[in-house]
Amino acid sequence: MANDEAQGVEGDLLVILRHGPHGSSWLREGLDAALVAAAFGRRVTLLFMGEGVTALMPAQQSGPLGQKGTSPTLEMLEMYDIDTLLVEAEALARFGLRAEGLMLSARAVEAKELSVLAATHSLVLTF
Amino acid sequence: MLLHVLNRSPATSEVYRQALAAMGPDDRLLLIEDGVQGAVGTLVARFAGLEGRLYAQEEDLVARGLAPLCAPSVVRVDVEGFVLLTEEAQRTVSWF
Repeated sequence: MANDEAQGVEGDLLVILRHGPHGSSWLREGLDAALVAAAFGRRVTLLFMGEGVTALMPAQQSGPLGQKGTSPTLEMLEMYDIDTLLVEAEALARFGLRAEGLMLSARAVEAKELSVLAATHSLVLTF
Repeated sequence: MLLHVLNRSPATSEVYRQALAAMGPDDRLLLIEDGVQGAVGTLVARFAGLEGRLYAQEEDLVARGLAPLCAPSVVRVDVEGFVLLTEEAQRTVSWF
């Protein structure tokens, strides 16, 4: 039942990223956790939720004071075999974004699929 | 005239409502840091009625890749513009 709706998303760890870049270290810490888990062989699913979708904006830059952003880390995900990237469809709409315009290939997920994702991963970390 | 400064995203935090509630009819609102998310998409509707008094920090928009999405109703200011706004205001009030 639930597995059918999840459209083949299979993973051990679901990392939910709910913060945008630059404003806090939440996004960076979530990505670090995902990379470490992947380095230890876990299958990681990333879900960008709420303002977290802005992490995938193209053409991000370093901060006004030269702070490093998170987009270089995102570009490393593929090297760690983290290729299941999901974005909350409602959040995309709120920010006026489309999944096709993001810096990495990500699939938009509808609200009803979110609970399935949380239920089908054995571990969920929220950042 | 007071300058209210908001550094939280209206997508995540309800503090923008407190800022709006505390604003007088001539007060200005400047969005900085994650607050600049309020200048894009449907989020800018949360600040309806502030046209001409709603500002966003240019550097923060650019760092986040959000500058191309900034609504035309929002006045974009760089750091010098931020300083000018504080000069023109009697006081500043921070919302975080």
